Amino acid sequence: MADVTLTVDGKKVTAPAGTLLIEACKTVGIEVPSFCYYPNLSLQGACRMCLVKIEKMPKLQTACTTVISEGMIVTSDSEEIKQARKSMLEMLLGNHPLDCPVCDAGGECELQDMTFSYGAAESKFMEAKNHKDEQQWSPVVFFDRPRCILCYRCVRVCGEGMDVWALGVQNRGVSSIIAPNKEDHLECEECGMCIDICPVGALTSGAYRYKTRPWEMKHVGTICTHCGDGCKTTLGVRRADTGMEIVRGDNRDKSGTNGDFLCIKGRYAFDFANHEERLTQPLIRKEGKLTPATWEEAFQLIGKKFAEVRDRDGGSAIGVIGSTRTTNEESYLLSKFARMVLKTNNVDHHRTADFPAFAAALRGKADATASMADVFTAPAILLIGNDPTEQHPLLAWQIRNNVRLHRSRLYVINSQAIKLRRQATNFMQIPAGAEGKVAAFLAGDDAAADAIINSSSTKDQWNSLRDTLRGEQNLVIAFGSEILGSDLSSLVTFGSAIAGAKFVCLADYANSRGAADMGLYPDLLPGYHPISGSSEFHTEWGEIPQAAGLDLSGMVEAASTNKLKALYVVGSNPIGRLKIDSFAFSNSFVVVQDMFLTETAVVADVALPAANAYEKSGTFTNTCGDLQLVKKAGEVTGTKADFEMIVRIADAMGFDVRKLVPIGGGTHADMGQSRGAQSGEADRHAVWLEAHGLEPKLSPFDPMAILDEIQRLVPGYDVSRMNLLAGNSQHTSLAKAGPGVAHRPESISPANDTLFSSGTLGHYSRALKSVMESHEVKPAEVAAD
Amino acid sequence: MPVLKNIAAIAKGMSITFMEMFQPTTVENYPDGKGPLRGARFEARFRGAHVLQRDENGLEKCVACFLCAANCPSNCIYIEAADNTAEHRVSGAERYAKVYNIDYNRCIFCGYCVEACPTDAITHGHGFELATFNASNLVYRKEQMLASRPAHMGANVVFNQADVDGGAPKEMVAGS
Repeated sequence: MADVTLTVDGKKVTAPAGTLLIEACKTVGIEVPSFCYYPNLSLQGACRMCLVKIEKMPKLQTACTTVISEGMIVTSDSEEIKQARKSMLEMLLGNHPLDCPVCDAGGECELQDMTFSYGAAESKFMEAKNHKDEQQWSPVVFFDRPRCILCYRCVRVCGEGMDVWALGVQNRGVSSIIAPNKEDHLECEECGMCIDICPVGALTSGAYRYKTRPWEMKHVGTICTHCGDGCKTTLGVRRADTGMEIVRGDNRDKSGTNGDFLCIKGRYAFDFANHEERLTQPLIRKEGKLTPATWEEAFQLIGKKFAEVRDRDGGSAIGVIGSTRTTNEESYLLSKFARMVLKTNNVDHHRTADFPAFAAALRGKADATASMADVFTAPAILLIGNDPTEQHPLLAWQIRNNVRLHRSRLYVINSQAIKLRRQATNFMQIPAGAEGKVAAFLAGDDAAADAIINSSSTKDQWNSLRDTLRGEQNLVIAFGSEILGSDLSSLVTFGSAIAGAKFVCLADYANSRGAADMGLYPDLLPGYHPISGSSEFHTEWGEIPQAAGLDLSGMVEAASTNKLKALYVVGSNPIGRLKIDSFAFSNSFVVVQDMFLTETAVVADVALPAANAYEKSGTFTNTCGDLQLVKKAGEVTGTKADFEMIVRIADAMGFDVRKLVPIGGGTHADMGQSRGAQSGEADRHAVWLEAHGLEPKLSPFDPMAILDEIQRLVPGYDVSRMNLLAGNSQHTSLAKAGPGVAHRPESISPANDTLFSSGTLGHYSRALKSVMESHEVKPAEVAAD
Repeated sequence: MPVLKNIAAIAKGMSITFMEMFQPTTVENYPDGKGPLRGARFEARFRGAHVLQRDENGLEKCVACFLCAANCPSNCIYIEAADNTAEHRVSGAERYAKVYNIDYNRCIFCGYCVEACPTDAITHGHGFELATFNASNLVYRKEQMLASRPAHMGANVVFNQADVDGGAPKEMVAGS
């Protein structure tokens, strides 16, 4: 749109026509205060804090609802305006309880800040305050009515942003109250967005309530460890008897791709870390029972056994199962450790999407993968399969708000009436399991049409949909794990004919993509290079076994015929999650690294207490391929990061760890790069050194040393190191990835998590279990708007 | 003449010395004096060991807002907050201090905590006999600092009744 020039406080401001005055002021550094205005939400004009003087207009005007016009002359700061704002504050404080000392928002409250700025410290009101007791709306949401200043941000973010519409307004005028959708409680997605967006302490978090104060915590912006979307969550940590305890998750750091968004898992489900069933010392099976042991004892035993099996039965008698929740560095290290030290290709992980086929299909195509940010800006989106509202909450948020704010066109093809159909331009329901046929049909196979037509759609509709999609530009095509193998490549064939089309392959766990990229496959090396071919890894890693190894089901089979002598499970629970018989590995020597005594850990011969992703540093790759930095927040005494444990086992096997982790110099010292929560000036210096590639990698436990190798060797990971360390997401590309290998469709088993479950971790999160919504599965409700 | 001036000054000074020699002594007779204070006397504004006050219902005034700890220049106050429940009500507001420690190894008695307190929960008492042979004794817990319950609230359970009473004699409290 054409630009408009106006004057604010004597400064010339130029902004596109249609910009709101409050936003135009921001561009030149003039801050107009407001409570009810919130970017990307509908306008309210309720709080009257943003009043400004506009020449030739009779009274003070609200900057948040006034659209700029040519030649406008605006005063944002004068005695009159100050007085108006002060009076507004006095009114707001009229019934405010002023219980800042106990209020959870005290210290990060916008009303406090405004009162300090405009000084309405003394009230002319004589009337007694109208007190109402605090209400609990759900296990995680509390409402304190007298503190509410009626800015309606919560109502709007819940409705417009989340499309949940669980909050509303009762009564009129001064007696308006915010009310939940089910009389005295909330039934919603429990995302807690209303709490984060509340400028005061009216809505407070059940998890953090009255525990501490904002300035008493250290705030660490890291990546959520639950689903594959890679939201940035800010964890508030404080010291505790057992190390550093995480007491709050919120969205204070809005620098992530998720912006304002967090779901219940990112906000509340950090509590598994504080679960009392956490393992805090190594356990070794002695006389049939897991008994506490020292780390030295455990590492020596594992090292001895693994070396024994390798030398006696060959590496192929050892199986390795990696994790979808460890960092890229750990997955890469495990992949390398298995091949170089254990001499085995029996490497696998819980696969939830067909990334090798995805990489193969996109090989040589630059800019063919969409980042999470692209989903918010794309002019059109095609979604096949999956239910992002439940399984990919951030993706659903990006899609919803793209449709709402940018009028993006959304095409949904699904076997269920998923909630996102409410935003869809076109929703096509198909018979269950026909997603693959949709891909074939879109790619031009008209014979596939019969399989996708159901009672609600006709062949003509499908043909016209296909023509419409072909006519789109910069289309983002997101698809769930229903589409794999050859269907995936036909979908890519269809998409490649569309100018600027980009793809998103949806996988379920926080670092599923990373596990795949780092080569936790029996037949693939990092970057989807086949094990039997030749690649940089073959030269760098030296002698590695050339024959493809066993996948998970192959390992189970080998164990049943007593051919699998040892199994090394890192942060995974195959027995619990993949319905494997508990006795499958009873003849093997099983080592499990995990946080809890999971179904897999109870059958282990050695169980090692692992730190979770909130307790270590590294990087995660989300399902779109965005690489992000994971920072250490919490700490539980007695646990170790998987990285350290892998290195220690290699050492115990007599392997030169410097070949595994490329560290320099001759000393072994941690210079503080991994200290995280207790860091200070020294760490800031370390960050600067790292950003310039100067960091001294002196410790064999330094994930940054492996990150160097990943960035050097894994295709697509050569992103800006400085931006990565600064906390920005960096999109990786699959254009230069290896050719991949075709896998059996059965090897992929989706997690089928909902908003309120999260694999094995979900079992240990009280917050997820406490909300009533997690106990019932209901169909998506009909449109409320 | 500077010499004469100097002599005059010395004579003036010494005259005060000789005059005071015959006045009654004003030096405190601590610790050999009478009464619980053993001869020590205080101005009302004296900043001694802290006292955590109770309200008229005997509930603790402290609501664990952490402002004293935030304001403390020597970082000697440690607080852990907890939720009041209907069964277990400790303070008048929603939150109370489950743990409230002051490390007198570090405290400099500046009084900023008292100034910061929004509920007048923490005050300086007149307790000054803090010396000990073991530094760990100098970390005072909440129970050691709490004021006694009002008489009508029944038996007092605080450890340092004598300290509290001794540190704040009646005539001083009235003026403070």
